Amino acid sequence: MRKAEIWVSLAFMLLGVIVIADSIRLGFMWGRTGPASGFFPFYLAVVMVISSVIVFFNAFTLYKKEGAGKPLMPPGALKSILWVVIPSAAMVMLMEFVGLHIAAALFLGFYMRAVGKIGWTTTLLVGIIAPLSLYITFDKLFLIPLPQGLWGGYILRF
Amino acid sequence: MIYWGALYGGSITSILFNIPGEPWAVAATFDGYPMAKGGQPGKALVLAFLAHGAGAIVGVVVLTFFAPILAEFALRFGPAEVFAVMMLTFSAFVGLGGKSPLKTVTAILFGFILASVGMDIVSGQLRMTYGTFVLMGGFHFIVAVIGLFGLGEIFLTVEEGLKVEGIKVWIGLKDIRDGMKEIIRYPKALIMGTLIGCWMGFKPGGATPASFMAYGFCKQASANAAEFGKGVPAGIIAPEAAAHAAGTSATIPMITLGIPGSPTMAVIMGGLMIFGLQPGPMLFVEHKDFVWGLIASTWVGNVLGFFVVLAFAPIFASILRVRFAIFMPLIIYVCAIGAYAVNNRMMDVYYMLMFGVLGYLFKKLDYPIAPMVLALVLGDMAEQSMRQALIIGHGSPLVFFTLPLALPLMVAAIIIFFWPVIAPWKAKLFAKKA
Repeated sequence: MRKAEIWVSLAFMLLGVIVIADSIRLGFMWGRTGPASGFFPFYLAVVMVISSVIVFFNAFTLYKKEGAGKPLMPPGALKSILWVVIPSAAMVMLMEFVGLHIAAALFLGFYMRAVGKIGWTTTLLVGIIAPLSLYITFDKLFLIPLPQGLWGGYILRF
Repeated sequence: MIYWGALYGGSITSILFNIPGEPWAVAATFDGYPMAKGGQPGKALVLAFLAHGAGAIVGVVVLTFFAPILAEFALRFGPAEVFAVMMLTFSAFVGLGGKSPLKTVTAILFGFILASVGMDIVSGQLRMTYGTFVLMGGFHFIVAVIGLFGLGEIFLTVEEGLKVEGIKVWIGLKDIRDGMKEIIRYPKALIMGTLIGCWMGFKPGGATPASFMAYGFCKQASANAAEFGKGVPAGIIAPEAAAHAAGTSATIPMITLGIPGSPTMAVIMGGLMIFGLQPGPMLFVEHKDFVWGLIASTWVGNVLGFFVVLAFAPIFASILRVRFAIFMPLIIYVCAIGAYAVNNRMMDVYYMLMFGVLGYLFKKLDYPIAPMVLALVLGDMAEQSMRQALIIGHGSPLVFFTLPLALPLMVAAIIIFFWPVIAPWKAKLFAKKA
């Protein structure tokens, strides 16, 4: 927990420094027409760096004194979270190729069958009906074009 | 108007699906769950709904009468005043939010920085894009909301290993009669809850503290305080009435000042902007018919919502019993559709995933999410008003402290901002005197 605290505050500091750098490039002083573009982000980033430095030191002294403290996640939780994150990331990648609805159907099927251990009948029913009904509502009735990917348009032809 | 119907329908379901998940419903579980376990689940639900209804009606009355007054007042606001109101909003999060003030500041600034990515609204220059093409479009707050709240919440539930235990419930006519009789016997709890709710609703992040405050006050004022927590009706009525009154009166700053007090309001404001309506005092002048239509729709929506909730609560409760492994991927699927549809950009779906992980980390490490989202929503407006005010003041920050309307707002903002420092100091001072 405290290690994660330290890392997150470091990340905020890094982000702040990056923003400051770009603000300086844009100019953070008084420009020709009032405050320059970098004016607002510059002060935001400066204050953010200061406050995350304080958070960092608080966490660091506690870490030195009392050790790492509770772990960030209960044991075993990381695995089940990764079982959600990785398939959904894979779904998003697949969307680039086969489009949103087909990718989602595959994702639904995979998660229900492999992780949820749900019977084939339910898996197939939900995995087909849900994407189909959403496809019809959004793409056909509301006429909101959702991503088709490279080949999705050739597969879904109605 | 169809859109508003849809929006109400959407918000009703989201309220229902998350009954235990919403932070402001926590206070109601203290007494609601024991009562339901004690064999009166129907009565507990009816009480909660009735209290919601009463809170909503008072909230809507306040909205109807105060919104135009506040809007008229806000028409006199210049950039300095607008910026001062925003300072007040964000310092309320820092000073009264209850989380670590430093982390709140960090989260707010992070939101502002995300908002400033992309095109500079005043000069048209590109900022924080570092020569990349994808960052040019900036971050849209709806995408952030979907990721931070939707996905972040899913990760949290997965981590907890999710066991949703529901109590089987069926609301009969007798329960409704009982509930109505019961609620008349506790007028004090009802009035107290509603008033606290209306008052807290003006302030950002109001509904959750409002429900807890109402519960606490009601417990203190009650003759049988020891019974609280074992299923007393007043313990359900007060926090529920407060939560809904706060939820309704939170609309006031959104439509009159254009400053949403909660992420939910921010999303509704986003909906208005899609239709080309800029919330703020000018809305009352340019689109009078729309504003009154909106207020009327809150009347209709709240009354209808009450009956819908009453009729469908058992059905919604049974949806909660659907296996999570079926539900969860469906939620992610719908989230992805929502994120993509905001700008029709594939990049937003990736952002959604990133915001999901970020939301999980934020929740775990106690960084508040709501103020960050609001900073993302209001970033452009805050920056613009600040820069305009500075131009008006010829570069002197004194402009915020010399205008008659801006000065009290700024002073209040500063006091609230330093409240975590002032409060212990004040307590010490008083302790010494006594």
